[in-house]
Amino acid sequence: MITFKLNGQTVQGEEGQYIIHVAEKYGVEIPTLCNHKALEPAGMCRVCTVELFDGRRSRFVTSCNYPIWEGMEVKTDSELVRDGRKLIVEMLLARCPDVPAVQKLADDYGIKELRFKKEDDTCILCGLCTRVCEKMGAKAISLTGRGVDMKVDTPYHLITDACIGCGACASLCPTGHITLDKINTQHTHLNTQLIPSEYDVGLKGRKPVYVPYAQAIPNTPAIDRDVCIHFKTDGCQICTEFCGVDAIDHSMKDEIVEVEVGAIILAPGFKPFDPSQFDAYGYSKHPNVITSMEMERYLSASGPTSGHLIRPSDHQEPKKVAWFQCVGSRDSNRCDNSYCSSVCCMYAIKEATIAKEHAGDDLDCAIFFMDMRTPGKEFERFYDNAKEKHGVRFVRSRVHTIDPLPGGNELSVRYVTEDGKTTTETFDMIVLSIGLETPPELVDLAGKLNIELTPGNFAKTESFNPVATSREGIFVCGAFQGPKDIPQSVIDASAAAATAGEMLTSARNTMSKKKEVVPETNVVGERPKIGVFVCKCGTNIAGVVDVPAVRDYAASLPYVEYVNDSLYSCSQDTQETMAQIIQQKNLNRVVVAACTPKTHEPLFQETLINAGLNKYLFEMTNIRNHNSWVHKNNPELATEKAKDLVRMAVAKVALMEPLIETELTVHQTAMVIGGGISGLTTAKSLADQGYETHLIEQNSQLGGQALNLFHTAQGDNIQEKLSELINSVEKNDNVKIHLDTKITNVDGFVGNFTSTLSSNGSTQELEHGIAVLSTGAAPYTPTEYDYGKDPKILTTLELDQKLIADDPMLKKLNSALFIQCVGSREPERMYCSRVCCTHSIENALELKKRNPEMNVYIIYRDIRTYGEKEYLYREAREKGVIFIRYSLDNKPVVAAKDGNIIVTVTDHVLGRPMELTVDLVSLATAIIPYRDEKLANFFKVPMNEDGFFIEKHAKLGPSEFATDGTFLCGMAHYPKPIDESIAQAKAAASRAVTLLSQKTIFSSGTIAEVEPMKCAACGVCVSVCPYSAPAFSEEGRFAGKAEINPVLCKGCGLCVASCRSGAIHLKGFDTDQIFSQIFEMDEAI
Amino acid sequence: MKNFLEHTGIEPGRLHFSWISSAESTKFVDVVKKITDEVKTLNPANKKYVKTEPKVD
Amino acid sequence: MSENEPKILSFLCNWCSYGAADLAGVSRMEYPPNIRVIRIPCTGRMSPKFILAGLRQGADAVWVSG
Repeated sequence: MITFKLNGQTVQGEEGQYIIHVAEKYGVEIPTLCNHKALEPAGMCRVCTVELFDGRRSRFVTSCNYPIWEGMEVKTDSELVRDGRKLIVEMLLARCPDVPAVQKLADDYGIKELRFKKEDDTCILCGLCTRVCEKMGAKAISLTGRGVDMKVDTPYHLITDACIGCGACASLCPTGHITLDKINTQHTHLNTQLIPSEYDVGLKGRKPVYVPYAQAIPNTPAIDRDVCIHFKTDGCQICTEFCGVDAIDHSMKDEIVEVEVGAIILAPGFKPFDPSQFDAYGYSKHPNVITSMEMERYLSASGPTSGHLIRPSDHQEPKKVAWFQCVGSRDSNRCDNSYCSSVCCMYAIKEATIAKEHAGDDLDCAIFFMDMRTPGKEFERFYDNAKEKHGVRFVRSRVHTIDPLPGGNELSVRYVTEDGKTTTETFDMIVLSIGLETPPELVDLAGKLNIELTPGNFAKTESFNPVATSREGIFVCGAFQGPKDIPQSVIDASAAAATAGEMLTSARNTMSKKKEVVPETNVVGERPKIGVFVCKCGTNIAGVVDVPAVRDYAASLPYVEYVNDSLYSCSQDTQETMAQIIQQKNLNRVVVAACTPKTHEPLFQETLINAGLNKYLFEMTNIRNHNSWVHKNNPELATEKAKDLVRMAVAKVALMEPLIETELTVHQTAMVIGGGISGLTTAKSLADQGYETHLIEQNSQLGGQALNLFHTAQGDNIQEKLSELINSVEKNDNVKIHLDTKITNVDGFVGNFTSTLSSNGSTQELEHGIAVLSTGAAPYTPTEYDYGKDPKILTTLELDQKLIADDPMLKKLNSALFIQCVGSREPERMYCSRVCCTHSIENALELKKRNPEMNVYIIYRDIRTYGEKEYLYREAREKGVIFIRYSLDNKPVVAAKDGNIIVTVTDHVLGRPMELTVDLVSLATAIIPYRDEKLANFFKVPMNEDGFFIEKHAKLGPSEFATDGTFLCGMAHYPKPIDESIAQAKAAASRAVTLLSQKTIFSSGTIAEVEPMKCAACGVCVSVCPYSAPAFSEEGRFAGKAEINPVLCKGCGLCVASCRSGAIHLKGFDTDQIFSQIFEMDEAI
Repeated sequence: MKNFLEHTGIEPGRLHFSWISSAESTKFVDVVKKITDEVKTLNPANKKYVKTEPKVD
Repeated sequence: MSENEPKILSFLCNWCSYGAADLAGVSRMEYPPNIRVIRIPCTGRMSPKFILAGLRQGADAVWVSG
């Protein structure tokens, strides 16, 4: 250890260290342009010059490459040093007057006018580039020439093979003298480019060491071996010198690990279609033709333009943007994807709406489409709003030509309108709504796994087992099963888990381990003894915030008994030390000032538990994400802010009390309401996973609406499959079937429900831990289209009945006509019933099969055969089914007269009404929910304005309710075909099992509690709580007062804020605790 | 709430509400900047709203 | 604290704005160091009392963000 003086202060450094490094350790900043931690110092820029007194005389040395020695005295900021540096900077500025880094230094040293002749160089000859080039193992460039002729160059100024095109020189160059462009033209034939960021679809670069995106899990960086220079030249390894915890090991090798499993679930996803193979769209030629994935990134706040919409060619704001639908979908001419990708219509509408939000209402957004397919829950309303409220234009046309206009920014689009006119329009930007496809690697994988694929290269599954592949034990979910959106993927994922779980029930919990429990110390009534741990997070915090100062400040705060700082608080050894300190010093409250509690609070709470402290005696304050990272140019105020935040946390933690997490047994019985396909499937899945399940059906027969259905889209005979399913449920010992039964009352909550079942006058009480609502929906009975006036005007289900019964009247038909959207997509029922297009086409094909000569018409608004159902639509067209489109304001007219049915429709091409005389009319009637308010009230679950139940989360929680212990599936959620109903039924079972299998559950500690003495029983809390946690107590001393069920409470605090008597306390965020933070916000005087 | 503050003589510019989703970091930064700028145009509060304790002689 | 460095007392919802603030940090964005954050479980927890107490305590402004 060498001791010397730095600006009068005695400091210590290691033998061989240079002055600048020791100064940095002691927080003394010395400016430099040519120093880099991982490179040998060169003393080139001279800016780091300091004054050195060796006992006899003073001289100037460059601190970056002057080793320290015992007894030396260094001054880094004396007047002499400042004058010297000023001269150096002035000369640098004269050489490179336009370089921002030099200008900034000149500003710092107060240089206003130059005394020297200005040059226009941009290189300061710092040599960082040549040194880093050597470090990379390349040695392609060096400083050539002498004196005034010195410059950075390749040997003989020639393009060199030694350059590996890594771009390290450009990335280190402090002045911008070296650019990738320059490297490509002067140094190498290689095409050096930024490494395209996968997350930003190449619109941004990324580093070889990178975190794929901000929310990635795990959120630790990875090294991309394909681009990392170390793996090419054996050089570099600069990252290892920056890593404070020596976490980087370049010698790690891939390992092959063998795991024995009982089931495999495939969730490999899809690849967005690559439109560069299409010449017509000019994607590879015109910068302003982009894909929808690129548009997503442009619109994203974390994207390449921070959400600011620009056209790529000149970065100007666009005025007109067009979306072209079905690029790489529904197309068997130019690509092989003849299926519909299912998601593009919705995302195009979403992008157009967001684009208008970001760029203002003046932005003109036009979507060019064939059929607008918005058959999902709440999607039709979104489509309608985009049209009516946001003014997005929808143009029904497939564009055939795009021509760039002179100037290279605008694109001219030629298309044929619905009435047959050719129109030309100019757009600034064209977004190609690209479809979803299975990449070749997955086709290979499927081959290796020996599973069958569909014509569209998706994993083949069956309607009645939608997540099982053709090979037993291998399951599939997400877009590899078929193109689909997030909610459907999430449903599939749960369904796949349930199906695998049914197989593996006997193995459940056989491999789990139990953790040892440290007894908890009782701290109630003790005076607070607070420990404050301040984290440096390497240099992430310490680089900006004066951590020792914050630590020392914390020591001065009331009740603080112990303070400490550490390099990485979250590292395992620090955690162990922390637990020891808590025990040794008898601390009873802990504050950690580090990063975000959202990711790290559980870790530190675990440490408290290991130290025998209740985990709620803890407060974390965020001095990294909310402070050092965002105020890096303001270290002083950042340090002040950190002190404030620590003081607020200390004040709050002193008031924290140990909290109890109530333990609750989960009744191992399930109740499934509704005995249709969904309810049957859920009951079977739960029973197969070992749970006693009660299936409640209000009718005298199981099967629900499926009893009326003929075939699935895949051609399965529904009646056969349904009776198999009913049979297997009836035979299952774990299922108790209750027919003709209604629910007349429900009490209790998650884990402990008691329901009253009433059947033919007798009642029965049933205790159950969870409930699944699969109550289904009913067909709409039309009042329009002369329904009921002639037996030949039927609904879809009535036609199915005739098909099932093979009714002789079907043989006599010479013509049939299907009318779509009967009762759906109307102002009073603003949703699409999802199944009807496919259903009508199927039946049309069935009629054609029975009599190929028959004239079959389908009168539709948009054909919505999403996914691979599109094949049916194509087949129907090929087989001569005639499709005629109508609009909401020009509906067909059906007239039953004297045994004839005459349908008048307006042809959208001719624009003229025409009359069709047909033998049969099939009305595709809407699917209407039962709107069972009583049941909704029993379980305290919400319904939307259409009467469908509202799930916990539209995307991520589609099969469960926000109220714990209640789940939903099937058409009670939204109209859906059989395969999707079965998937969701299994998903509901899967979600229920995650709860049932825990056997006991714990409430959170941070929940609300009523002080009954203060409660005025006004009922506000009961009505505001979204989770139905508060209720009026029914018995005991405080009957009539509100009480909060700790198991249902999510700790949001809504009731606390709304309680007018101040009777409700939110543990962990109580009023006095928040007040203490407010009071400590500003220093008390 | 803003009306109430104005009534009591506190500038409404001292109270701000916003809704930001957890993915909207850019919006968060914009809002912080906007509020800080706006508050800087107001005079420092200097604890002028601190309730004075009634004097007891 | 100097004249033109106001303190803005900020109540941030744990799930929304607090997360946005975290992400702003992860993205290394910069903003003025004048806010003092109190994490609340949900903006539903907010009570007018907190706003008044903050102002009374000398905060130059109060910001509630969900």
